[in-house]
Order: sequence, then structure tokens, then C-alpha cells
Amino acid sequence: MSDVLHALLFSTLDAAPALVFAALGAVLSERAGVVAVGVEGMMRVGAFCAAVAALAMPTPLAVGVGMLAGAALAAVHGFLTIRWRSDQVVSGIALNLVALAGGTFLLESLYGPNGTPPIQQLSRWELPGLASVPVLGALSGHSAPTYLALVLPFAFQFLLARTPLGLRLRAVGDKPHAVATLGLSVAGLRWGAVLGGGLLAGLGGAVLSTAVLDRFEQHTPAGLGFMALAAMVFGRWTPVGAFLAAAFFAFGNALRIGLVSSAPGLLELVPQGVLLALPYMLTLTLLTLQGQRSSAPAALGTPYEQESR
Amino acid sequence: MAERLKAILPSVLSVLLALAVCWALIAFTMTSGTATDAYLQMLWGGIGNWPSFLDGAAATVLTRPLGESAMKAALLTLTGLSVAVAFKVGLFNIGAQGQMILGALAAAVVGAQLSLPSALHVPAALLGAALAGAAWAGLAALLKLYRGVHEVISTIMLNWVAVSLVDNWLVIGPLRGVAEAGQSITGTAEIQATAVLPRLLGDLSRLNLGFPLALLLALAVWAWLARTRPGFETRAVGLGAEAARAAGVPVARRTGVAMALAGALAGLAGAVLVLGTEGRYPGTLGAPYGFDGIAIALIGNNHPLGATVAALFFGVLRAGGTRMQLLGVHKSFPELIQGLALLFVAGRMVWLAVLRRRQASPGSGPAPAAVTPSTEAPRV
Repeated sequence: MSDVLHALLFSTLDAAPALVFAALGAVLSERAGVVAVGVEGMMRVGAFCAAVAALAMPTPLAVGVGMLAGAALAAVHGFLTIRWRSDQVVSGIALNLVALAGGTFLLESLYGPNGTPPIQQLSRWELPGLASVPVLGALSGHSAPTYLALVLPFAFQFLLARTPLGLRLRAVGDKPHAVATLGLSVAGLRWGAVLGGGLLAGLGGAVLSTAVLDRFEQHTPAGLGFMALAAMVFGRWTPVGAFLAAAFFAFGNALRIGLVSSAPGLLELVPQGVLLALPYMLTLTLLTLQGQRSSAPAALGTPYEQESR
Repeated sequence: MAERLKAILPSVLSVLLALAVCWALIAFTMTSGTATDAYLQMLWGGIGNWPSFLDGAAATVLTRPLGESAMKAALLTLTGLSVAVAFKVGLFNIGAQGQMILGALAAAVVGAQLSLPSALHVPAALLGAALAGAAWAGLAALLKLYRGVHEVISTIMLNWVAVSLVDNWLVIGPLRGVAEAGQSITGTAEIQATAVLPRLLGDLSRLNLGFPLALLLALAVWAWLARTRPGFETRAVGLGAEAARAAGVPVARRTGVAMALAGALAGLAGAVLVLGTEGRYPGTLGAPYGFDGIAIALIGNNHPLGATVAALFFGVLRAGGTRMQLLGVHKSFPELIQGLALLFVAGRMVWLAVLRRRQASPGSGPAPAAVTPSTEAPRV
């Protein structure tokens, strides 16, 4: 039994970070009032650039390149939606489409259909003393992003809930005019949140190609960005909530994969497709129950205009 | 007329700009000669190889490519209309993909399981698809109207529910076609011959009834929106729900009907794919036509006929895209053009402002007018 738990926990901890980072990025951007439908595209760009960069430089540096690439795509989003007040959903969808088709085009023309050549994966850290403890031993033997993903959500929760900057970020997503009244820059705060969200989404993508896989695979991230959005909504737009939701989804996924290989009989009772649909159905159910009292930031999706009320 | 031209111009310029940028992209990764050749291949693959036809080749060098383009254009028209109709009532239908999946599945089931004469079977399958798509979209509308759930989030979630349940369960499980004589098949059982959309040109091309159907529906949607009272009320709700309510428009009903119509159109796209080309619900639906619909609707300025023109254009490019592979350019390249065009449409205030500034700077004309954000992106 503890072996099974260990294996489940281990694969959850391996798979969750990408989802956690992307969900955190989405939370950051949306709390500041900018819709984050483009997370999928930012992850894809991050994954691609990290994999390509890792061919030429040490992998940890390449992860940084992936983060910057995600931020670059976020900068386009910010330019269109903050500077020019374009529709945030349209801009995000456009970036997703560009990243999807552009990634395929560049991959095919540079490396062929089988993905980039294999790269050096991020090294795994063995935690001495922990490895032999039953179940908890699953904490040992992961790469750095896993440990970061366990800490970062709480840091962000502290930032948003307990610091002046966090208050300003939340205010800019709920009532930007109030922030402007204090003489603070609405655009500046939103830019910061959008770029930060891009860095995090890029990191999520980079983790996929440097820690989960060892290359950029053509379909990366295959909808994980949208699942990050689901985690954000399910976690009621809070960092720790999104983290818990993402971890829960990742655990469900690990359980599903585990069941496929170990207990195919169980899958005849509950088909795999139903398990796959579960995170999205749960999110929908939660939203339905919450109704009008949804915890979405009040000014989400509204471009800021000084003249408006 | 000048007004109308002004409305069309940004979309046309966005598409041209996207074409130019993508040409430069191939020229950059390969050579400029390859880029030009690839574009020519895309053109001949889309509208037919006129040079070789004029040199005396058989008519099929024209009809085959044109038929493929028409098929792609039909799908893009239907999903584009779906997104455009939802926009008109003020909703952003990101769920066209999921609605299309449900529609395709319904068409495949009705097409395979029922035995009807051809004159009834095709309409029955189309109706089933439209109803399935409408029901899936109706869920999002209900959530919006009665629980205040934002449709962007709910349709994204419904997309993934549809993909998971249909592609990863029904199609590989309960509804999987029975393999005959040792053949292994993916997807549902093949539809019966009576449910196949009739081909219009016989063996000359794969052009089928789906294309005229899509064009007819585009005209009908346009007429409904522009010329009928419910259509007018629908647009009024999209422009301002509160004002419409004050004027006595039944806002909830208009919203629900428009969203159901949007779902029905996306569902029909699924039916056209299944009944016209695939002959069954394949393992997966392939290209995400539902998401393409968003690009098509917005490039078409959210106008039913504009979306149709955009769909025809990108149908040609997408059909011709397969020919680009001859030169080592991936067949998804036209999707990149489409995505960039959407990005440029989204950011059109940027370069319109740049153009205006440039126009204003040489002469002593009036200072550039302030950019009015109200004419910017389509209302969502």
C-alpha cells in the first residue's frame, strides 16, 4: 500500500509544477484585471524556447530563456491590451493560435516532426535522510522546479494578501480608478502583473520540456494551459487555492495513469474519458454553485480608461 | 459606402500584413525563392492550377483543389458564423470546438444507426447535429443567464469536457465501430450510404452539399440579424443589455436563442465534416475548426457575410497549404497566417494610429485625431 502511495505521490510531484506555475501566472495576471486566456500559448513558447536553448547552453539557463520567451509573448498581450486597450480575450486567443501554428512551423522547419533533439534534463535532487522514509520519501529525487512549486504559491499568497504591493495589485483588478486616485500607475501595475504572469507561464512550459520530458514535443502543452485556467477558477483566484487545485488535478492525472497500467478492470467501471473530464466538470460545478458571488476580480477584462467611471 | 469600406479595410490590411510577415518568415528560415514558390503552390493548391489548365491539362486540376477549398471553407464558414452570432448578442463563444464535437458525434450516430431513405436521412443527421450543438451551447447560456457564470470560462471548460468524454470515452468505448474482417478501424461505425452528403460534381471533385448549405446559412443568418425583428432585438441586446431591457426586449430569451443558434451552427460544421468527408466520427476531429471560427469571425468583422468571405479566403489557403509540403513547409502554415491576421486585427488600433501619425506629420494638417477605443475590438 505504501508503495502505491509512494509511486502516486512521486509522479504527482513530478507532473504538478508545470500546472502550478501556469496557474500562478494566470492568478497574478487576472488578479490585476487582465484576462489570461493566452497562458496556453505562453507555455508553448516557453517550452519551445527552453528546449532549443538547452541545445546550446546549460539546462538551468535554458529554463530562464523559456521564462523570458513566455514574458515576451505576455509583453505583446500587455502592449495590445494595456497600452491599446484591445479586447483581452481576443488578444489571448490570437496569441494561442500564433504560438500553436508558429511552434509547429518552426519545429518542422528546424528539426522535423519528431520534436527537438533530446537535451540534458534538469538534474534531480536526492534529499539525504528522506529517501528511506516510507511515503514521505517521495519528496526526494525531484528537480528544482518541484520544490519551487511547493514554496512559490505561499510566497505569492503572502505577497497578495499581506504586502502593500499585493494590495495595489488586487485593487487594480477590482477598482482601478481607486488606485489611480492614490496617484499610482494602473498601467504600470498591470504591466508588472502581466509580465510576471508571462514569466511564470513560460516557466511552466520550460519545465515540461526540461524536467517532465527531455525535448519539445509537437503538441506541448496539449491543453495544460487551459487546465491551469480551470485550476485558477477552482482555486477562486487565490495563489494557494490555485496551487491546491492544480495539485489535485495533477494527482487525479497520476491516479488515472496509474490505474490504466495497474488496474484496467477499474477503468471499465469509470471510463478514462470521464476521469479526464473531471477537473473541468468540477470547475463548472463550483462556478454554478457559486453563482453571482463568483470570486473573479471585479474589473477583470475591462480596459482601464481614466475618463470612464 | 465609404463607411463600409472603412469597416472592411483594417481586416484586409491585417490579412495582407500577415501574408507578408509569413512570407518573410519562410524567406528567413529558407530562401526567398522558396517562400515565393511556396506561396504559389498554396495558391494553385487552393484555386486550381490555372497555368497547367491553360496549357491543356484536364479540368480536374481545377475542380479538385477548388473542391477541397470549398470543403474547408464550408467548415470555417459554419464555425465562424457560430462565433459571430454569439458576438452579436454580446457573448464570446469560445466553445464552438466543443459544440462541433457534439454535433459531429450526433451526425455520426444518426448516420450510422438509423435506416431512412436518403431524402430523410441527411436532414435527420443534420438536425441531430444542430440539436446536439445547440444543447451544448445552451448549457453555457443557462449558466450565464441563471448563475452568472462568465461564458468565456464555461465554454472553455465545456470544450474540454466534450473532448474528454467524446474522444477519450464514447468514440473509443461504447460507440466504437465494429471492425469487419480483421480490419482495425478508429472512430465510430461508418455512416450509411443514405446519410452521405451528395457530391455535386461526381468524380471531378469532393465538393459536396455542405458548401452550398454553409453559404445558404450565412445568407439566412445575415437576413435574420439584419432584416427581422428578433434579429434586431438580438443585436440590441449585444449593444446594451440594460437599454434593450428598458425598451422591452426579452433579453434572456434573445440571449438563449442566439447562443443555441451559435451552437447549432457549430454542430452543423461537425455534421458537414462527418457526413461529407470523414464518413464516421474519426479518432479525433483533427484541425481545431472551432477555434479557427473565432479568427474567422473577428477577421470578418463579426458580420455574417464578412465571416463568409474570410472563410472562403482561408479555406483556399488551408486547402492549398497541403501543397506547400512539397517545398518542406509544414501544412499548418496557413494557420499561422490566420493566427497572425487575428493578432493584427486585435491590434489594429496600433498600426492605424501609426499610419495616421505618418499622414499627419508631413503637411501642416490638423493634429492626429485622438484614437477612439470604442471602435476598437468587436464588442464582447
